[in-house]
Amino acid sequence: MLSFTARRIAAALGTLLLSSLLVFLAVQALPGDVATQVLGKDATPQAVAELRGSLGLDRPAVERYGDWMWGALHGDFGTSLVSGTAVGGEVTQYLGNSMLIAALTILFAVTGSLLLGILAGLYRDRWPDHLISTVSLVGMSVPEFVVATVLVLCFSVALPWFPAVVLYGPDATVGQLLPAVWLPALALAVVMAAYIVRMARTSVIDVMASEYVTTARLKGLSTWRVVTRHALPSALLPVLHVIALNVAWLLGGVAVVENVFNYPGIGKLMLSSVQNRDLPVIQAIALISAVVYVVCNLAADLGAMALNPRLRTRGRTR
Amino acid sequence: MSGMHHPGRRSVLAAGTACAASLGASWLLSGCSGATAAPVLPAAAQRGAPDRGGTLRIARPPASDAETLDPASSLSAYEYLGALYNRLVRIGADGEVAPDLAESWEPDGAARTWTFRLRKGVTFHDGRAFTSADAAYTLRHILDKATASPQAGVLAPLVDPRRLRTPDAHTLVVPLKSPNAEFPSLLTHYNCYVVPEGSGKSIGRTGIGTGPFRLESFAPAGPGRVTAYKDHWAGRPVLDAIAFYSVADMSARSNALLAGQVDLLSQTNLDFATARVVAASDLATIARVKNAQWYVLPMLTTDKPFTDVRVRRAMKLAYDPEHIVKAALQGAGRPGWDNPVPPDDPAHISAHPEHDPEQARYLLRKAGHEDLAVDLYTSAYDPLFTPMALAYQESAKRAGVRIRVKTASADSYYTQIWMKQPLMATYWYTGRPVDQLFNQVFRSGSSYNETAWSDEGFDALLDRARAETDDARRRDLYGEAQTWVIDKGGAMTPMFADRLVGISRKVRGYAEHGFEFDYLGIGLKGA
Repeated sequence: MLSFTARRIAAALGTLLLSSLLVFLAVQALPGDVATQVLGKDATPQAVAELRGSLGLDRPAVERYGDWMWGALHGDFGTSLVSGTAVGGEVTQYLGNSMLIAALTILFAVTGSLLLGILAGLYRDRWPDHLISTVSLVGMSVPEFVVATVLVLCFSVALPWFPAVVLYGPDATVGQLLPAVWLPALALAVVMAAYIVRMARTSVIDVMASEYVTTARLKGLSTWRVVTRHALPSALLPVLHVIALNVAWLLGGVAVVENVFNYPGIGKLMLSSVQNRDLPVIQAIALISAVVYVVCNLAADLGAMALNPRLRTRGRTR
Repeated sequence: MSGMHHPGRRSVLAAGTACAASLGASWLLSGCSGATAAPVLPAAAQRGAPDRGGTLRIARPPASDAETLDPASSLSAYEYLGALYNRLVRIGADGEVAPDLAESWEPDGAARTWTFRLRKGVTFHDGRAFTSADAAYTLRHILDKATASPQAGVLAPLVDPRRLRTPDAHTLVVPLKSPNAEFPSLLTHYNCYVVPEGSGKSIGRTGIGTGPFRLESFAPAGPGRVTAYKDHWAGRPVLDAIAFYSVADMSARSNALLAGQVDLLSQTNLDFATARVVAASDLATIARVKNAQWYVLPMLTTDKPFTDVRVRRAMKLAYDPEHIVKAALQGAGRPGWDNPVPPDDPAHISAHPEHDPEQARYLLRKAGHEDLAVDLYTSAYDPLFTPMALAYQESAKRAGVRIRVKTASADSYYTQIWMKQPLMATYWYTGRPVDQLFNQVFRSGSSYNETAWSDEGFDALLDRARAETDDARRRDLYGEAQTWVIDKGGAMTPMFADRLVGISRKVRGYAEHGFEFDYLGIGLKGA
């Protein structure tokens, strides 16, 4: 158990390092740098050269990467090449806004899809199953920006219940952002839930067909009791991984959806930073995404182990 | 915003119906029907007088995360400038130079020295009186290397900042290095807004000017607000305030308008599908700015095969601008016939060679490029680039010119493709005075000379035109310059497009041409 955990954490750290390097290389490969991107069409060549010099962009890439990593290890993520403010504080502010959406999405997606998935599994091949399966298939196939746009057209334009875009900047208060988080969260939840619904359905069907459920039924327990006490704990186990992967996906989906809603979150920051080639910010966000991804997977693995005694002992005897 | 999102009275059932019928359907239809459907777009904004007061909400794309209110900067937050500041002169609706902070101006006999008489009784937002010292400082600030102003390149060859004179508080004398009868027109540029003396370091944040609105708040790439300046010299603006919001994504901007969260989308030329949805909305409509953008397919005259003037001429004769206006603009504009001077500019000449694919074929054969095949770069930067490129491809086929349309990334288009690829799509805002247009975009060595065209004869013609003090003769010379550009230059100008601006149905008194926006007269009805 301990060595398994240690190995997983070591692998996680390796993944983080590798992803930061890959992101660095990817941004180097993009056409143009921060000086040309920020100054844009109207810039004079001297202005570009001066800005490049003052930002240290004329130094070798390896050196810049080394500096950045060294700083990051000490908790210093550098300053944004565009705004000149500390990256750490800036990213935290945007990330906080995104968390608002992410928390709601997870709440919607997990509770909603588990309920629907279990329902579909229990009513296998009957109309509730058909309905839920079809809808989730559609949800899976439609990209999140389409879902988001349709939601805007319905619930902001046709019916003015929610704002279509956020007009506040990143320093908006939770109260100001609150009316605007429902549609993005719903759009993300629709796309995310589809996977969980299908996984939960399959899992419930498997478990309900297993011998111990049959035994429990033969003992004369009520269906409700069989489902809640015996079937669900085992059925949820494989679903955990899917939830974890989807939470990790959420960060990418957020980037797309936040842009549709002009929501001042980490996704929008990522997009404008890529457009501006603002390397320190991109790297910090990439690192955070990698951390989220790695932590989610780790949590799913460890959670699965905690829930499943057989996995736990196998880890110990190896 | 708080007023906007109270729950509607219609039922949820109605939501589905309304969505599918009124919006979703028209949205999908316009998306599918494409070029075949005739556009049903209103010709102009709502007329009638606005009510006094109210707050106009403008959604704009941020210039960059490092935006500033310094008008001279290349990163200036453009929409704030006309609200906060005034220039010495502006462009009138007739295309001529009109008074702003300068009441009158006159050159000496040789157009070497210009004297500007400045308006009296004008105050900055901090209460200080506006004087000639501020006007002189503004010019020096633009010319200062540390400012890195794009307009410095235009003014530096003419103006020596140390020789500016202010004989009294309301007279500015500008001696020029070479004669220029059109000099005042260069000061109509949006980098030339007047700032208070000595404010160079702070103006980017304070925004203190003499304009109809004073700054309340501003965040780079974020929201900001200006309020009416009651002591403005031309009287109080109609509105109480303008709220500016940064919305980077174009569809997010139009969603905000459709949802009633904002009243005007600035710097957004709506594509036709979106424009039709907006025009069909209860809350919003379309205002057209006539011939607002001038579209170009620049050929780099320093790159093969466009080094050969016969190839350039063939490329121009090969395509039919009328076809491009029909196909790419759906009729919302006018053919350019390769003349960059807008049709409504007083200096415009209408003479141009006709579309002639046979002649184009002949020229190409003579130049040894019988089977000419070239790449034409486009991007999603502007919604009309790709339709224009495809329409050109289609039209030039008849002359045997094969065009391969290549789509490049929009975010680095102007740093990596523009002025680097031999043939690409681009556009300019019209509203540049003719002298500025030619000297900025077509003169040898100018930083905006996107075709890298260099012709001594043409440069000499521009010099002669500038030095000519007789208005009629000067106009003739600028006419000659147009013929020269059409015959020999590297720029193809297929079309002038109306800008389709999304505005709320409540907006009254919206007036925009070139870089001019009427901040004084714009207002809201029933706000």
